[in-house]
Amino acid sequence: MATQTTAAPNGVVQWFEERVRATALFNALLHVPIPAEAKTYYLGGITLFLFMVQVATGTLLSLYYKPTPEAAYDSVKYITSIVEFGWLIRSIHHWAANGMIIFLLLHVIRIFVQGVYKYPRELIWIFGALLFAVTIGFGFTGYLLPWDQKAFWATTVGTEIAAAVPFIGESLLQLLRGGADVTDATLSRFFGMHVLVLPISLALLLAAHLTVVHQLGIANPKRPSLRPGQLPTPGIVERWKPFFPHYVLDEVIAWAILLALLVVAASVYPAGLEDKADALVTPPHVKPEWYFLAVYQLLKVVPAIGPLTARDVGILIPMLAMVVLVMLPFLDKNPEVAKRKRPVALIIAAIVLIGMGILTWYGGQIPAVAVAAS
Amino acid sequence: MKRSRTRVAFLDRAFRIGVLSACAAALALVVAQAVLAESPSPSAGASGAGASGAASGSPAASGTASSGPTLSGSPSATALATATAKPGATAPAKIDGNTCYSCHTQIGGAQHTIADQWQASVHGQNGIGCADCHGGDPTSDKITVAMDPTKGFKGVPSRQQTVGVCGTCHSNVELMRQYQIPTDQYAKYKTSVHGQKLLLSNDTKVAICTDCHGVHDVKKASDPTSKVYPLNVPALCSSCHSDPKYMDGYNIPTDQLEIYKTSVHGQALLVNKDMRAPNCASCHGSHDAQPPTSTTVVEVCGKCHTATQALYDQSRHAELVNGPKCWTCHGTHDVVKPSEARFFHPSPPQIDCGTCHNLADKTLKLNADRFKNDDDRRCDTCHHVDSLLYSQAQGIKSALDKASSAYDLALTRIAAAAEAGMIVADADVTVTQSKTSLIQARAAVHTTKLTEVASKADAAVTKAKEAQDFADARLAESQNRRQAMIIVLALIAVTILALILLRRGLDHTYEPG
Ligand code: HEM
Repeated sequence: MATQTTAAPNGVVQWFEERVRATALFNALLHVPIPAEAKTYYLGGITLFLFMVQVATGTLLSLYYKPTPEAAYDSVKYITSIVEFGWLIRSIHHWAANGMIIFLLLHVIRIFVQGVYKYPRELIWIFGALLFAVTIGFGFTGYLLPWDQKAFWATTVGTEIAAAVPFIGESLLQLLRGGADVTDATLSRFFGMHVLVLPISLALLLAAHLTVVHQLGIANPKRPSLRPGQLPTPGIVERWKPFFPHYVLDEVIAWAILLALLVVAASVYPAGLEDKADALVTPPHVKPEWYFLAVYQLLKVVPAIGPLTARDVGILIPMLAMVVLVMLPFLDKNPEVAKRKRPVALIIAAIVLIGMGILTWYGGQIPAVAVAAS
Repeated sequence: MKRSRTRVAFLDRAFRIGVLSACAAALALVVAQAVLAESPSPSAGASGAGASGAASGSPAASGTASSGPTLSGSPSATALATATAKPGATAPAKIDGNTCYSCHTQIGGAQHTIADQWQASVHGQNGIGCADCHGGDPTSDKITVAMDPTKGFKGVPSRQQTVGVCGTCHSNVELMRQYQIPTDQYAKYKTSVHGQKLLLSNDTKVAICTDCHGVHDVKKASDPTSKVYPLNVPALCSSCHSDPKYMDGYNIPTDQLEIYKTSVHGQALLVNKDMRAPNCASCHGSHDAQPPTSTTVVEVCGKCHTATQALYDQSRHAELVNGPKCWTCHGTHDVVKPSEARFFHPSPPQIDCGTCHNLADKTLKLNADRFKNDDDRRCDTCHHVDSLLYSQAQGIKSALDKASSAYDLALTRIAAAAEAGMIVADADVTVTQSKTSLIQARAAVHTTKLTEVASKADAAVTKAKEAQDFADARLAESQNRRQAMIIVLALIAVTILALILLRRGLDHTYEPG
């Protein structure tokens, strides 16, 4: 493959090549070893695409958005109803955000089921787990920005969950809200997080994630990667497929399909806006975004265990789950990747996923929540 | 080589130590939290102290006079003097000097209950003792002295006496000032139907103070468990007024509560617990209970419905001596939500001219006061189909009909646009303005003036149309978006197709290995 691109081109390319000497760099960048048996289903790439969509649409939104309680709601209303194609940009940002979570989850499931987080890809997984946290952070901070009733009260309830963290809960709540209540201070810091801190974190983590993927190549889900000194099983010859242009082209086709889905969602179900936030009017039903429902419902259903209150248990389980997620490659010592040879891991994962599904469904069913209690 | 290996080993060790100590710290936090939660936490202790503090504080706070003026047979001056003299003392103190209480609690049974009820009552809490109502000498622990008629002991006051006993203190301005409660109850009671019957005809079946406020267990009217708390008043009045046996001979109906429960007022009060809604006493009075009359009913309703009364006062109806009043059209206990259906019968009633007019000189002879049957409370009950005023009423109704259907149409369009995911804030604002005008137009019916109603109704129609235009524009935009979406989808499909073709071409040149 490499020979195809090293042939000296003529004209414009030649002109630049003489002045930049970039061919070698591009050749290196565009060379990712991909085993013929690898199946990524383009899930990570689609997540990447959606992130790029978020950067583009988010930048456009930031040209009109005003992050103060007085102006935020009206500026979002202005974007949605007055700005040319503002509704489209905002609706795509809305749907791509949801899509990013969905494809992220699918990506993680793919990685887990294929067992490709194992040696030598532990770091890719850890960077990935951190990316997961940052992506969730995007959803949480972005939800407040329209400053409508839904935004305000979901954030009030959502930050309330932080108060349940043992020992540091109250300080954490203060830190998140920038005070005792959800106020202009909260809006300022959520905005800062959403447009500066999280994008930069995500970009850096993504660079690390993809650099290591690039260096190690895509894993072969049929057999574990060889350790130094380990010899390949006799008779097995690794076959590769080219990253560029084959894999890239498939990826781009997947992105085009995603773009079509985004256009349909934005046109048929444009992003809405409720009444302006009012700290004095508690709506009858307050529900967080769907991807928080599982944790939210868990808090309500877990029992007290020993000296721990139900609240402690409810918050410790997701915290522990996050730790387990990050540390997974070191906790799962089984070197096998074939599904038949790792039944315990797969069964546990299936139970966790089904449990989360049920909790999410359940959390979506029961409407009211007593906000006033807090 | 060796150096780099030691460096690696060092980094490795440092990393492990770091991870281990982080885990240990996390574990310590969790354990600390668990231990803190198990031991009686300082916050629980504090809240306990706060609660008991509040409990012990409340009697002192609720009355500056918490000590007992119970020593005297005549409550008036002494009660005031003692009450203000020892503002800090708490309720139990007065029980010490009250031999009535100590003996009667020992008797047990009903006597004990009475003593306890008194102690918990607003009287007990404010140092109004047994002797203040029953007379006698509470300083003596000898029954012959304490309950000696020559010491003023009255025993159980009769129903007539009771009114006077309560009235003695409660009409005393000096005495009542400290409690910030009125002193006109006794005077009002004497004017009420209850008071008249009791004091003039010696009818002891009528309500006296204790029937509503309790005997020994008198509570503040603001206490939600009190029988006179606004939400409880309908049940209280009906405890006598809904009892056909008890009310036998008074010649008044006993179904008021049942009717009231179905009315807008009853629903608001009893179902929605809306304390602004009228209970029995709001219209009939409490101490001065009297049914409203056709000369007072407009004022009675107007007490709450101020704006409507002002409109009614401009009307032809108000000018007439025997003209229709609020209840002529809306009824009394059975007030329902008004609607445009209130104007006319489904088909005009055939009423003989002689029912309402003196046939000789065609003057009005009917006193249009109240109609028992709700179906009769219509404009065309009085205004004959052939009359000029009937066509005026028709004009008013059709103006309202036009406004309300324009408003309803705007609402359905806005709902459709919102359903399509469009933001309809501008339409919402405008349709609210339309609703305001519609409400004003409906209220203007009370003026009986077509011009008044029509001007408001027209304003409602204009705003409703404006709102509908906004909503329709949103709906059209939603349609446009969907059409544009099809074009964009087609472009994307073509792109995908091109990419697939490109990919096919590549496959031929693809050689694994
Ligand atoms: C914003 C979030 C993320 C983006 C944009 C992203 C992107 C990618 C991309 C483009 C790849 C190349 C293969 C593919 O397309 O599937 C990849 C591989 C990988 N990702 Fe992610 N990822 C993200 C989050 C995660 C998370 C949350 C995890 C796990 C917790 C994870 C674990 C991995 C692993 C282990 C690989 C290597 C797979 C292999 O070699 O077959 N990633 N990621």
